Amino acid sequence: MASLGDLERAVMDRLWSAGGPLAATELRDGLADRGLALTTVHTVLSRLEQKGFVVHDEARPRRFRARGTRADHAAELMHEVLGQAGDRQAVLARFVGGVDPDEARLLRELLAAAGPDDAPR
Amino acid sequence: MLPATAAALAVLAALLAWPVPALLARAGWPRRDPLVALVCWQAIGLAGGLSIIGALLVHGLAPWGHSLPEAAWAVVGGLPAEAPVRGDHWVMLTLAGVLATELVGVLLLSWVRTARTRRRHRELLELVVQPASLPMALPATPPDARLLEHPAPVAFCIPGARPLLVLSSGMVAELDDAQLAAVVAHERAHLREHHHLYLLPFVAWEAALPVLPAAGRAHAAVRTLVEMRADDVALGSLPGPAPRRTLAQAIVVAAGGAGGAGVPSGALAVTGSAVGARVVRLLEPPSPLPAWARVLALLSAGLLLLVPTALLLLPAL
Repeated sequence: MASLGDLERAVMDRLWSAGGPLAATELRDGLADRGLALTTVHTVLSRLEQKGFVVHDEARPRRFRARGTRADHAAELMHEVLGQAGDRQAVLARFVGGVDPDEARLLRELLAAAGPDDAPR
Repeated sequence: MLPATAAALAVLAALLAWPVPALLARAGWPRRDPLVALVCWQAIGLAGGLSIIGALLVHGLAPWGHSLPEAAWAVVGGLPAEAPVRGDHWVMLTLAGVLATELVGVLLLSWVRTARTRRRHRELLELVVQPASLPMALPATPPDARLLEHPAPVAFCIPGARPLLVLSSGMVAELDDAQLAAVVAHERAHLREHHHLYLLPFVAWEAALPVLPAAGRAHAAVRTLVEMRADDVALGSLPGPAPRRTLAQAIVVAAGGAGGAGVPSGALAVTGSAVGARVVRLLEPPSPLPAWARVLALLSAGLLLLVPTALLLLPAL
């Protein structure tokens, strides 16, 4: 039994690789190897719509398409992580904040000067 | 009727709003023991809020009784004031109400907003990233690690009931296995010790009191200390001959790469110096704080909380 997150990813993969919008029945047929019921496909699609990843048109039957590409969503996430927003909130504890090129060079020099051994001085 | 108590609380509030945070932010010892320093910061934040609201309440409720509990009980019970209630009493009570509402409200708001952003990040991650294990041989590959396709070397974690640890493909490409293990250990330390909870009140108070320089300073200091603490915890679990150097290398590589990826420059002055402090601290470790100093610092933190509490509860001077 696949998890909902798994199904959501599978549906998104279909929508991303499709040339245009797809109807729910087409999605079900495309995912035939998973043996999904049409209601399950609709459930997954409405969850994805709530999350803002999928939009549908007003045709009958409704056809669904991805709102952005996979790269768009990855870029959205990275923009928040790399930007200042992450520093203003307790959302992400990021490994390292960015530094400007001057400081980056300074840090590399520091590392080189410390030598290869780890003995505390 | 309660002037001495109110005055004492006001003095304490003033000290905690400006000189005490300034001194602690400039002190050298916190980098020798980040955890103790974090406890001190929490105590300062809590005692500061307690004493400023307490000072206002004690003065405002003075006509109703000799101690705060007594006066509050009288007001709740609808008893008449023992002394004439003047305008300044009402002003103080109103201020106390507004301030308390703002501090608690902003804290709750910050909590909600953080939870929402975190959920969004999790949704994005689950959509974009296949839950595949990382392509490396870590001593203990975390089950919750995700690999995000992105050239910038970035690592972060999303706390919560199901915590997630995220590494970018850029990070994996730039670091060797030992350095990656150091990064993972650092992020897992954040998750295990719930560092986001240490940050939350300071994020909220900076938002609530943007005019108070100490709020911003406290937030920056706590953010740095949390990173240093995670470094310390990570070092404990790292194998290899030179864990300090490995972690420092990982920090330098990640910092340089992230900067090159076009991080907005506004935040850099603060973050940058904190990164430098972390690297220096790893390469030239300061001697650990002696036991007496730790006890002293923790006692001071406890005292800091005890004094306003006592002033509030005991009969007025």
